[in-house]
Amino acid sequence: MNGARVEFRGLRRTFGTTVALDGLDLTVEPGELIALLGPSGCGKTTALRCVAGFESPDAGAVLVDGKDITRVPANRRDAGMVFQSYSLFPNLNARDNVTFGLRVRKVPTAKRHARAAELLELVGLPSQGERYPHQLSGGQQQRVALARALALEPQVLLLDEPLSALDAKVRVTLREEIRRLQLSLGITTIFVTHDQEEALSIADHVAVLKDGRLEQSGPPAEIYDRPATPFVAEFVGTMNHLPGRVTGDEVEVAGQRLPVHGQRPDSPDVDVLVRPETVLVTPDPEGEAVVVTSSFRGASVRLRLRLAGGTEILADLPGHDAARLAPGEHARVRLVERPVLVAPRTAAVADAVPAAG
Amino acid sequence: MAETLTTAPAGLPAEEPPKTGGSRHRAKGWTAALPLMLFVGLAFGIPAIALLGGAFTSDGSLSTANLTESLQGAYLTALLGSVKLSALVAVAGAVLGTFLAQAVVTSRFRALREAVLTASGVLANFGGVPLAFAWIATLGNSGVLTSRLNLGDHGWSLYSFWGLALVYLYFSVPLMVLVVVPALDGLRPQWREAAQNNGASAWQFWRYVGIPVLTPSLLGGVVLLFGGAFAAYATAAAMVGTVVPLVTLQIADALTGNVLIGHENVALALSFDMIVVAGLVMAVYLPLQRRSARWLR
Amino acid sequence: MAALTPTVLPDVGAPAAPTGRPRRVRVWRGIVLVVAAVYFLVPLLASFVFTVNDPVQGFSLDAYGEIFSAEGFGQSLLLSLGLAAATIVTVLVLTLPAMLAVRLSAPRLRPVMEILCTLPLVVPPITFVAGISTVLRWGPDYLSTTPLYQTFIAVQNPAFPVVLVIADVVLALPFVYRALDAGLGAMDVRTLVEAARNCGASWPHVMFRVVIPNLKSGLASASFLTLALVLGEYTVARLLGFQPFSVWIVTISGANAALSVAVSIFSLLLTWLLLLVLSTAGTRQRSGS
Repeated sequence: MNGARVEFRGLRRTFGTTVALDGLDLTVEPGELIALLGPSGCGKTTALRCVAGFESPDAGAVLVDGKDITRVPANRRDAGMVFQSYSLFPNLNARDNVTFGLRVRKVPTAKRHARAAELLELVGLPSQGERYPHQLSGGQQQRVALARALALEPQVLLLDEPLSALDAKVRVTLREEIRRLQLSLGITTIFVTHDQEEALSIADHVAVLKDGRLEQSGPPAEIYDRPATPFVAEFVGTMNHLPGRVTGDEVEVAGQRLPVHGQRPDSPDVDVLVRPETVLVTPDPEGEAVVVTSSFRGASVRLRLRLAGGTEILADLPGHDAARLAPGEHARVRLVERPVLVAPRTAAVADAVPAAG
Repeated sequence: MAETLTTAPAGLPAEEPPKTGGSRHRAKGWTAALPLMLFVGLAFGIPAIALLGGAFTSDGSLSTANLTESLQGAYLTALLGSVKLSALVAVAGAVLGTFLAQAVVTSRFRALREAVLTASGVLANFGGVPLAFAWIATLGNSGVLTSRLNLGDHGWSLYSFWGLALVYLYFSVPLMVLVVVPALDGLRPQWREAAQNNGASAWQFWRYVGIPVLTPSLLGGVVLLFGGAFAAYATAAAMVGTVVPLVTLQIADALTGNVLIGHENVALALSFDMIVVAGLVMAVYLPLQRRSARWLR
Repeated sequence: MAALTPTVLPDVGAPAAPTGRPRRVRVWRGIVLVVAAVYFLVPLLASFVFTVNDPVQGFSLDAYGEIFSAEGFGQSLLLSLGLAAATIVTVLVLTLPAMLAVRLSAPRLRPVMEILCTLPLVVPPITFVAGISTVLRWGPDYLSTTPLYQTFIAVQNPAFPVVLVIADVVLALPFVYRALDAGLGAMDVRTLVEAARNCGASWPHVMFRVVIPNLKSGLASASFLTLALVLGEYTVARLLGFQPFSVWIVTISGANAALSVAVSIFSLLLTWLLLLVLSTAGTRQRSGS
């Protein structure tokens, strides 16, 4: 199986007065796993359904390997899709679900069964072929759906929030397996999700969508470390908003001077966006910061501290380092020396810390 | 709320030993269900025993003579007539009801859907004599349409097998709509999309997924419609008298001694035949319904 | 079943043209709806025309005026309403505690209940009445010397035949069972009752303050179905020789065709009105809670 290049060109789609896609431009390279990430209503699912053929754009085109498929009927497209949930045919067992596409193509029974065994083996359900969907767990159902999507050896694999209906533990295992499979098959994959952790952990590329437009596209590390816009910064991971003042190429924040990355607003008074894990906290009875709350998260601890000016800040530090930082203790706070993103000062600056995410 | 609180202390001691509390609970459960069981046992059981006893008694001794007689001649004709009429109404009602339900379910207008469902709820219960009179006024010998369109000259008669079928559909189609709409709603759009995604045409989707998934509900609807048409008496009695041979009309005649005195036991035997037919049909229905409930959860 | 295939097929035209539904689907749906509207509305309209069409005057509402003055109208309608009230009370008093018990403490009784409450569906009313009339004949035949005979006479009192209430309760059981089962299923009785008991409420208190208020829409639909059933019940009443409203319509029809059709329309409107009242009561309950 070789992956195809998928291109979205100026895709527009409106439903009544709501604009789902507002000129989306995006290219997915062959064999790449791209995650379409965004809040609900950002158009990510609509974009996916345009590739599958369940939606047709009002304007723009979808190209697969340079061929315009915008007007090709859904049942003649070469893209396998996995739906959010409950998409298995309830009257067919797992094996017949997987080979539904082969049955439609009149492939002989013996050959179908052999292919089904192969595919079920691939998704880790070698002995469940006789079971009906209602006898399978949610995770197993999605595995069967994945096998069904791969049965016709499509050029493109489309995943529409395939894990969102599953338990947290199953979700993590299954996403790793999807990634393993995708890498071994080398199939171009578009993965729609609203879960930023999911997107960052399995994708080659993450495309963040907002209001039907592409906000930023890049490798996960770039999206996380160098968000192009405050929206991306806010949506991916947690951000502190600290009041700062821009002078030249630098910004003064919490008693430090840090280089500014990306656009800077007209006004010198800005919000400086700082990730909790780039906040360094050291216990110090003389320190000006006070620990307000401390929540244990297993490997790490998230502290909420009050700075000298009254601003609150979130900081993540390894669990064993936090033993001496109980609420009420004093500490010294420093920011890691690296370029930071700034945003126009928001009205809610008094409550500078976002609700802990 | 205050009342609840004041009664609390009194309630507490009784609940303290959990074991005895549990068994008292269970005893209470049985006793609460007892009146209903006794009632059904008496109100339903005694007539049933009387019916069985009468059906199998001839001249004061046990015999199958009544049963034999009930399966011969005019009685057999009536029984077959009822089965034929009910089967026709059930199948035609199921097909037409499914048409209508699909038209409503796929419509974008919510008001239409609500209106059709409410009307179906009323019309499915609109049987009996008023229904017969409404149709007599419409298509009877001096009905409004019959006289306006001179249908009589074309050999039309409402008081016939086909006329009865037309009238029975009036309550059967709405009943089918009520039965099949939830099933059509239960057909998830993902199934159709997944089928398309696997290269299936519309026809292939219905053949391999849609119709198999709907089959239990459709057959369940057919069974309900059959039962309703089979048991109907009032409409037929008010419309056709005895022109069309139906088992319910035969039973009523034999019971009221209209035809021959002393044929009550044949009426009971005929009733027994009816129950056997209805029971067989119902036996098909229950397992089907269980299956569709599992699929369309 | 094969006939079904073409009927449902056209609807999936979607893949051929993903933008909107193809025209033939809309045409097909329009035809179905129009045919249905004609079939269901024409008899109602024609009946109305039939009742107001006077050969002499042309248009007259006399038939409707006559309903109220016709002999036996008030008496039979009152009898029907009385029977309906008695049936509703009896069937609810019998089924509600039993169904609660099944849900709360005796789940093993559930299949038994289900069978009991489905049996009347299998047994056509005419066979039921055949059985009842046989039992009633035992009275004069075997029991005339026993005190039970008086009971037999009493239940057949033409002014208020208790035997009809008994029969109607049996016939209504399947509908009431399903309506209440749906209502109880939607409200999670166990948690509600346990919470109330935990607050120290007594059983009657739980019944009247917790369960019944939450079950209002289920009770309303059970009551409506029973009411419609009793008002329309003809078979049992006719064959046992009583004259509630449904039998009276037939009796009067021999004399005056327009009047009997007018009464039919009247009874249909009455049913609709009651349905409307009960359903609005049900929805108000839901939006209020």
